[in-house]
Amino acid sequence: MSAIFWEIAKRNIRIHMLRSTLAMLGIVIGVVAIASMGILGNSMVATVSESLKSVGDSVIVSPYSGGGGGMGAGGGGGGSSSASLKISDQNFQQIKRVVAPNVATPVYSTSDHMKIGVGSDDIVATIYALPAEDVPNIMKLQAGDYNNGNSGCLVGSTFAKDHNLKVGSRISIGTDGSKGTLRVTGIIEERGMSFDISTDNALVVTPEWFENAYDRNKDYDEVVVKVKEGDTATIKTNIEKQLNKHKDNKVVSVTDSKATLSSIYSTFSTVTTFVTAIGGISMVVAGVSIFNIMMMSVNERIKEIGIMRSIGTQKREVMSMFIYEAAIIGVIGSIVGGILSVLAGYAVSALMLGTTKYLLTTANALSVGEGVSFGIVICLLCGIYPAWQAANLNPIDALRHE
Amino acid sequence: MKQVIQFEDVVKIYPLKAGDVTALNHISFSVERGEFISIMGPSGSGKSTLLSLMGCLDTPTSGSISMSGRAIRNMSDEELTSFRRDKIGFIFQYFNLFPLLNIMENVSFPQMLKGGVNEEKAREVLRAVQLDERLYSHTPMELSGGQQQRVAVARALINDPDILLCDEPTGNLDSKTGASIMELMTELNRKGATIIVVTHDHGVANYTNRTIRIVDGCIAS
Repeated sequence: MSAIFWEIAKRNIRIHMLRSTLAMLGIVIGVVAIASMGILGNSMVATVSESLKSVGDSVIVSPYSGGGGGMGAGGGGGGSSSASLKISDQNFQQIKRVVAPNVATPVYSTSDHMKIGVGSDDIVATIYALPAEDVPNIMKLQAGDYNNGNSGCLVGSTFAKDHNLKVGSRISIGTDGSKGTLRVTGIIEERGMSFDISTDNALVVTPEWFENAYDRNKDYDEVVVKVKEGDTATIKTNIEKQLNKHKDNKVVSVTDSKATLSSIYSTFSTVTTFVTAIGGISMVVAGVSIFNIMMMSVNERIKEIGIMRSIGTQKREVMSMFIYEAAIIGVIGSIVGGILSVLAGYAVSALMLGTTKYLLTTANALSVGEGVSFGIVICLLCGIYPAWQAANLNPIDALRHE
Repeated sequence: MKQVIQFEDVVKIYPLKAGDVTALNHISFSVERGEFISIMGPSGSGKSTLLSLMGCLDTPTSGSISMSGRAIRNMSDEELTSFRRDKIGFIFQYFNLFPLLNIMENVSFPQMLKGGVNEEKAREVLRAVQLDERLYSHTPMELSGGQQQRVAVARALINDPDILLCDEPTGNLDSKTGASIMELMTELNRKGATIIVVTHDHGVANYTNRTIRIVDGCIAS
């Protein structure tokens, strides 16, 4: 294909600079819309992934609370109280056997008033209790010791930071310290969002202290199974088979963290696709504009096409001239759009997510690449019909065109 | 002398909604290499159709046309286009230069279609049409009508065609410039070019060696 057609395409764009720039602007907007929405979606997923990074492979068993049948679980289950929705020790032992050799951890939880230091404000926080030997399975410490004794407690990192707590600080539990005073023996590493227990803003105490303070006796609020052998889905099924034998008399609800995570990611993926598709509408509009401009270009140059054809220009060469024109508009518009979409993605992520640390990722690079490719492809597709029409003009009619 | 164009019993019918129109009705003639011919006739007589067929821009409804020894009837569009590029030079009434290209590029355009540019050849044909070298880098819009027509003649000559087809080549020029263009044609014919001029102008026809008159799609003389 002769280089002259590339040259003519370039000069035609230059001579109609305003029109060509407006067409490119449409593509720029389309690419920015698609790519920046993709970047926002990817950044949202990355932010959530970061928050859920400590979830790991776990299965959470909680008392069944849904439907009328489940509420009667206490009798059938041999210990679950339908009134207070707890997991009985008998059920816990069953769970323990089902999940072996994985470790099942019984967890107590409640919320209570507390004071830190003399004259401080009364605050309310969550208190978890779980066996000391299971604590390292579920959380890590950033300071202090797991071995907290009966009057010791671990505190979440956010809680410690907000209330200026250190190892050795004391916390009075209950209204006016009615439940006694606990000494901070360790600070728990930040865990972010999690499905089992959320410790960042909570206290972790021993089951013995908890049972004594809140008059509880092996009636747990949930059981956390950290899965190291086997897969979470099978363990979930096994627990349900064992404890929820009767469809109308369910004892427990079992949550598989992997499945839940997968569902969350799937939802985010759908949202990302949806917002990107909305961005795609602007690209379609830009494509219509390119089509219109290319048709104008063909109509303005009918006589020129006739001359070209009459002196020996092949149809494919006429077609190439218009395809080049669409490609130049598409490539320049898409590349400019790609660059601007990174800036737009930065701004949107900063405004909506409050962070831009996930901007430079492979997923975002792919989003920009997709936007740019889509822009170029749309331009080429919208240039094909006008180019085909130009190439197939009757040379005699085209020569007579005024 | 070798025949470069041969029409045998050529009929061209345009099918229209209102009814078929016979533009050329059983036309037979031939043109030999080196001839300088004018085709004259009133409007609607079939001159333009004849020019389209000689220029391989169209094919006949019936009859046979042979150009430079090749029958065009069964040639594909691609073959006809290549034939036009290699064997036929067109000169139009309104010059029909490409406004986006400069003079040198306009003249070299048919060469570029063949896949290569010989700038010396382009300069040679531009010198042959007596165009000032300083104008080579100008665009067509910067040239006078006579200069533009000289460029068009140079473009038609660049691929050494067998035939030059001219459609009212002086129709858009003043009489003095028109005369200079016809003198240029005469000079080219003297050097061996086969030239066919479609015209209404008897003054133009006077430059040629033979005139074919067409009336109502038939050759009158």
